[in-house]
Amino acid sequence: MSTFDPVNLVLRAFLLLRSRFQLGVGEYMVALKSIEGGFGDEPDALAETLKLLWCHSLREESHFESIWPSIQAQVSARKRRKPPFPNSKQPPVQAQEPTQTVQDPDLAPPLENLPTQRSNAELASLPIQAPYILTGDEEWSTPQAYYPISRRSMVYNWRYLRRPKADGPLNVLDVEATIQQVTRQGFYLSPVYVRQERNQARLLLFLDQNGSMTPFHHFTRDLAETAQQESSLKPENVEVFYFQNVPTGNVHTDPYLTESTPLSLVLSRCDNETSVLIVSDAGAARGYRTQERVRGTARFLYQLKRYTNLIAWLNPMSAKRWVGSSAEIVANSVPMFQMDNDGLSNAIDVMRGQPLKYSYSSPL
Amino acid sequence: MTESQRLTFVGNSDRKPQDSHQDSPDQPEPYVLSDSLKKAVNLAIYLRRPLLLEGDAGCGKTRLASAVAYELGLPLYRWDVRSSTKAQDGLYEYDAILRLHDVEVQRTQQIAANQQAKADQDTGDDVEMPEQRNPGNPKHYRKFGPLGKAFRLRDRPAVVLIDEIDKADLDFPNDLLTVLEDPWEFTIRETGETVKANEDCKPIVIITSNKEKGNLPAPFLRRCLYHYVNFPNDPEQLKQIIERHYQIRKNPPPPLKLADTAVNRFLNVWGEGGLFKKPGTSEFLDWLKALHTFEPKPYEASKLKDDTLLPYPELLFKLQQDWKKYTKAS
Repeated sequence: MSTFDPVNLVLRAFLLLRSRFQLGVGEYMVALKSIEGGFGDEPDALAETLKLLWCHSLREESHFESIWPSIQAQVSARKRRKPPFPNSKQPPVQAQEPTQTVQDPDLAPPLENLPTQRSNAELASLPIQAPYILTGDEEWSTPQAYYPISRRSMVYNWRYLRRPKADGPLNVLDVEATIQQVTRQGFYLSPVYVRQERNQARLLLFLDQNGSMTPFHHFTRDLAETAQQESSLKPENVEVFYFQNVPTGNVHTDPYLTESTPLSLVLSRCDNETSVLIVSDAGAARGYRTQERVRGTARFLYQLKRYTNLIAWLNPMSAKRWVGSSAEIVANSVPMFQMDNDGLSNAIDVMRGQPLKYSYSSPL
Repeated sequence: MTESQRLTFVGNSDRKPQDSHQDSPDQPEPYVLSDSLKKAVNLAIYLRRPLLLEGDAGCGKTRLASAVAYELGLPLYRWDVRSSTKAQDGLYEYDAILRLHDVEVQRTQQIAANQQAKADQDTGDDVEMPEQRNPGNPKHYRKFGPLGKAFRLRDRPAVVLIDEIDKADLDFPNDLLTVLEDPWEFTIRETGETVKANEDCKPIVIITSNKEKGNLPAPFLRRCLYHYVNFPNDPEQLKQIIERHYQIRKNPPPPLKLADTAVNRFLNVWGEGGLFKKPGTSEFLDWLKALHTFEPKPYEASKLKDDTLLPYPELLFKLQQDWKKYTKAS
C-alpha cells in the first residue's frame, strides 16, 4: 500500500480517541516509537499495535476496532485530495455534501468527512454502523437490567471510609523508635511498642423504604449489609435506620418499618465525626415536585447538620431524572450523587471529610 | 542496543542461549503462543513498558513469563502479590532489627572478630546480606526484592512477573508506576543508595490480573500494554497445546483418539454456556492426565465419547451449581 502513512494515521487516531481512552502525549510518543521499531508497517499490524498500547479493556478494544476503518478512510481520502491546508476541518468540496446520519454527537465532527469514500465502495457502509455500536455501549444503564452498582464495588468503596486511631492493644513493634531509643541510651533494654490502629469511623445509614423505593430494595439491602459486615468499619459503629419518603419524628430500625425509635435519640448519638449517608430517590423516581416533601427533607437535614457535616445523599435514579422533581431542590442543599460506582465513591469522599468541591448543577 | 541485538520472542523454547543467566528457569515451558500475544510480548520488550495480561484463571497468564525468560535466557524474578504487599517490598527490604542485634552481639564478642568484619567491609558492599555483617555498614542489611534485583542487573534485562496485581491494596499500582518509569531508579532510604537500571537492562515487566476486585487505576493502565488472554477454544489449538506439553515434559502422550475425544467433549461442555465458572487450560490438562494415567489403563476413548457424565468431574467443575449440573444423570 503506497499511500499508507502510519504517522499520519496515528495522529488522526490519537486526536479522535484521546479523551475517550484518557491518553496523554506520552502514549502518542510511544506509538510513534513503536512505528520506528517496525511494529506498524502494515495497516493491520498498526491497528494491533495501537490496540495494545491504547486500549485497556475488551470494551475499549471493540470500540477501537469499530472506529479504525473510518480513521483509515479519512486519512487516505485526505491524501488523495491534497487539501491546501492539511488541518483545515472542512475542505470546500464538502460544503454541499449533506451531513451523514450520525447519531453519536461525540463522533460527529470526524465522521463528517466520510462522504469522500465514494471511491472505496466496500467501506461505504461502515461509518453508519459504527455509531450504533457506540451508542449501545454508552447507554450502559439500560432499564432492562438495572445494575448500576455491584455488591463488590460497594465493599470496595466502603474500605475508604476509615478514620484510623491508634487506640488498640499495645502490640505493634516500632522499629525506628526502638533503634532510636537504643542509640540514645547506648544499650538495649526492650523494644518499643505502639498501639494498634483501629478504624473509628462511625456511620449512620438512613434508607428510604417502600413506595417508589421498592425496586431498589435490593441495592439498599446490599448497601446496609456490606457496610455492616464486609467493610473495614466496626459493626458496632454502623447503624442503619429506615424511613418512608421523609424521615420525620421517628425512624425505624427494621426494613419493615415496624420498630420505631425517635429521631432525636438517634441524632443524640451522633457527633461531628459521624458520617451520614441517606439513600432515597427524593421524589425523582416518580418525578414529583411536592412542597411538603422538600420542606420535610429540609427540616430533617437542618436537624442533622447541627450534629455533623459529613452528610451525603445517594439517589438510585440517575441524575438526568432529578431535573424538575423535588430531588433537584434537595440536591442543592446536600451533596447528592446517583447510585453508581463513581457516585458512591464520591459520597464516601464527602463522608470522610475529603474537601470535595461539589455543587449541584443541572445536567441539562 | 543495536537493531541486530534486539530481543525478540518467537515462542520456541529451543532458542535458549548457551550463556543464560543462573536465575533463568531450568525447565522449558510448554507454551503455545498466539500471534497477537507474541506481538504484545515483543512490543513490550521493545518499548519496555509493562505488559498487563488479563483473562480467565488457568489460561496461561502466569506461564508466559517463564516461557519468555526461558527462551531468551533471562533471569525470572517472580513477585506474588498479596493483600498486604506494599510496592516497596518489590524493591528492597531493610532488616534494621538484625543490625541492632548484631550491634549487641558484637559488643560481647572479641574485638578481633570486629576487626575481621571491618576488613571485609569494603569488599562486601555490593553483596546482599553477607555472612560477616558489620553493623557499621548499613549496606549489609538490605535485601533486594524481585524488582530491585532486576534493576541491579548489568549485563542483561530481567523478566519480572508481578502476579495477580489486583489482589494488592488500592494504591499499590500507582506506587509501582513511579518506579517503572523514567528514570528507572529508586532510592534506598536507609543507606542512601540510588539503584538505577542500565539503559539496556530495563526489566521486562509482565503483570497479571484477574480483575477480581474491580478495575486498576487509569494512570496505571495508561502506562501498560494490555492484552486479554483468551481461552484456546479451538480444537486444533488445544491439540497443539497437548502435543507441546507432552513433548517438552518427555512423557508418553495419551493415545491420539483419547486426546481427540477429550478435546471435543471438553469444548462441548465449555461452549455450552451453562457454566458459572469455565475450566481453563490447566484444568483441561490435569483432566487429560487423569484420563490417561490415573488408572493403570488409559480411559477408553469410545467410552468417553458415549459417557453421559464426564469422568473425573472434580477436576473440571469447581462450583456447586456446575457440579450439580454435570454430575447428575439427566
